[in-house]
Amino acid sequence: MNFLQLFAHNLTQGPFTDPFPFQPAPTAKRFRGKIEFDPETCEGCRKCEKVCPAGAIRFTKTDKGLEFDCWHDSCVFCGNCEFHCPTNAIHQTQDWHLAHVQQDKYSMVAHGVIPSHECPSCGKPALFTAAPANKVKGFSEAEIAEFRALCPKCRGKYLRDRKSR
Amino acid sequence: MNMIPDFKSIATKSPWIYRINAGSCNGCDVEMATTALIPRYDIERLGCQYCGSPRHADIVLISGPLTTKVMQAALVVFNEIPDPKVTVAVGVCPISGGIFRESYSVKAPIDQYFPVDVNVPGCPPRPQAIIEGVAKAIEIWRERM
Ligand code: SF4
Ligand code: SF4
Ligand code: SF4
Repeated sequence: MNFLQLFAHNLTQGPFTDPFPFQPAPTAKRFRGKIEFDPETCEGCRKCEKVCPAGAIRFTKTDKGLEFDCWHDSCVFCGNCEFHCPTNAIHQTQDWHLAHVQQDKYSMVAHGVIPSHECPSCGKPALFTAAPANKVKGFSEAEIAEFRALCPKCRGKYLRDRKSR
Repeated sequence: MNMIPDFKSIATKSPWIYRINAGSCNGCDVEMATTALIPRYDIERLGCQYCGSPRHADIVLISGPLTTKVMQAALVVFNEIPDPKVTVAVGVCPISGGIFRESYSVKAPIDQYFPVDVNVPGCPPRPQAIIEGVAKAIEIWRERM
């Protein structure tokens, strides 16, 4: 392109420069940004913790239940966790505004808690995790809610009982 | 006497940036080069320009997990930069070690050795994120002047 062509192009089309930071930047639809975690749909299988190459995800058992933490200062935004998650409880958003000052270093965390409660059947403490999709195929809404509240042992019993019914 | 406020208002306009590669895989360096050198992202709109010598720098961008081998050299170069300088860690490597964390040959996180002011996570961060980090660094730098 010679100078005059380029000049005419710039006059009509405007400069090539991205308007950011003075205007929002265009972001691809499948951009792999910040991690988002939904404790409502998480099964607590901890697959994401295992497959994370950067060790950014950590589950800890506390009095409140199972706590999920994903540290964005260690995450390499590879998408492994999202790929392996059976329920899509963990996924990446288009948000890339992660630059922060040093004081905020340890608060760049996606946090979530899977609450602990009492199993209504046996009374033992259990995690209120989502029901695995492959186990509750063909269940009604009420059955899923009933199944979900149970502890792992009682879930097994529930499945056997339902089969024999 | 009023030379100093005048000098301040002129001197705080255009910080020069310098980058140190502390053992980076080159991903972050490519993004940093892209941020400054191609018209698409053009960090010169913020008054920034890469300089060739650490002695001319105001803002230093560090990438890479600080390998054992490069550590001494990086510290020497870093100490050449005149105060007040602002340090920006680019990529997750310098911030926490990222994918190389707990490796025998890296010293990350670098804030054990360098006074880091701004972190830009990403592997690598996109150019716009680096611009955002540099904008934060410029604010800090103006306060320090
Ligand atoms: S987020 Fe997904 S992969 Fe991780 S524990 Fe929950 S269900 Fe399993
Ligand atoms: S995107 Fe990759 S590095 Fe980040 S939390 Fe998920 S698996 Fe770990
Ligand atoms: S953060 Fe990622 S792209 Fe940047 S130097 Fe480290 S491994 Fe390479």
